[in-house]
Amino acid sequence: MSAAYVTWGAFALAFIFGAVGNKTDFCTMGAVSDWVNMGHTGRMRMWLLAIAVALLGSSALQLAGVVDLSKSIYPGPNFTWLSYLVGGFLFGVGMTLGSGCGSKTLIRIGTGNLKSLIVYMFLGIAAYMTLRGLFGAFRVGVLEKASLTLAPGQDLPSLLAGASGMAKATWTALLAAAIGGALVAFAYASKEFRSSFDYTLGGVVTGLVVVGGWVVSGVLGHVAEDPNTLQEAFVATNSGRMESFSFVSPLAYTLEYLMLWTDKSKIVTYGIASALGVIAGSAAYALATRTFRWEGFRDAEDTANHVVGGILMGFGGITALGCTIGQAITGISTLALGSIMTFGAIVAGAALTMKYQYWRAERLT
Amino acid sequence: MNFDKELDARGLNCPLPILRAKKALTGMQAGQVLKVLATDPGAVKDFQNFARQTGNELLQHAEANREFTLYMKRK
Repeated sequence: MSAAYVTWGAFALAFIFGAVGNKTDFCTMGAVSDWVNMGHTGRMRMWLLAIAVALLGSSALQLAGVVDLSKSIYPGPNFTWLSYLVGGFLFGVGMTLGSGCGSKTLIRIGTGNLKSLIVYMFLGIAAYMTLRGLFGAFRVGVLEKASLTLAPGQDLPSLLAGASGMAKATWTALLAAAIGGALVAFAYASKEFRSSFDYTLGGVVTGLVVVGGWVVSGVLGHVAEDPNTLQEAFVATNSGRMESFSFVSPLAYTLEYLMLWTDKSKIVTYGIASALGVIAGSAAYALATRTFRWEGFRDAEDTANHVVGGILMGFGGITALGCTIGQAITGISTLALGSIMTFGAIVAGAALTMKYQYWRAERLT
Repeated sequence: MNFDKELDARGLNCPLPILRAKKALTGMQAGQVLKVLATDPGAVKDFQNFARQTGNELLQHAEANREFTLYMKRK
């Protein structure tokens, strides 16, 4: 299959995610905020439903032999526990200061929020610096030194299969059914959640978009033997591995692509197409519903919060190998231990930052 | 509508409008009214949820010139 199928497939799925995310107000930072600041769990249940749908769908693809999730970056044996904790925590701090995570930043850009455009720039630059620049030296030289090797992989089915002797596929089915089922049951245990179509729409579509993302990269983009390298390849990816949706490194690679436009070795990848697709989908919904509106910074403190938020998300997201979508939905759909750990660290970072902001509000009012 | 305190949350995005309203309400007496000015597109939905969860009453909300004006009555 050509790279065009991969990039257009990613763009189409991201477009749907952007439009539905805008309509349903899907926001992982908002989910933590609603829960911590007012005890409202509607958006948290929506997020957990998205995780459940992604987990159930991805596991079904794995068990049916459609894709091999071990070909993605998440379940590898290199368990960089300190990076997951520090990166996840800082990402949580950053998304609170920056009015939303990477995907929400893209959705907000589509609605006319210029603050989110600045967050995008700083997130992308910091992410690139963490991939290959100054921050990268700290990431590799300090944080990634704290790691364990969990052979044959850090995903729960592999770990439990190794410990129990029971087949990995059996564990995949059992864990997906148990965890996915429990999350679905938890989401729909709320009467308010059941009565709102938007909650179900946001959760189910986001989860299905991640499942569809695996198919785009793992089936349409899969080359069993690249004629140039004679090795297996996943075309049009920045990682060279099978990908689904994540919104930190793609923002960096989008900036790189724009800056190195005349370098013919640079192409529109899965990640770049997905970032642009979310903006386009959100903008299309905002224009269609006449909710597009320009928003700018309120004052110097507001500006500083968003700049710092973008930098922390860029550093944290690359360090932790993903964001609230990349690790907390796409990664968890592979049942990787690091993804689950990162999810917890992100929520902790966001919740503590909100407590700080509440204390700060006392000084301002 | 009469109000006892005003909070200008214009230009702020989630979660700050809710956090500052929550803080402002803690310093008010039961029955007093807080007027909130906001521009975050999600403000109305956020304050509706906030009212439902906390028992403070959202008396009224309106939009004009891309600004939301909300009145919250302290429980």
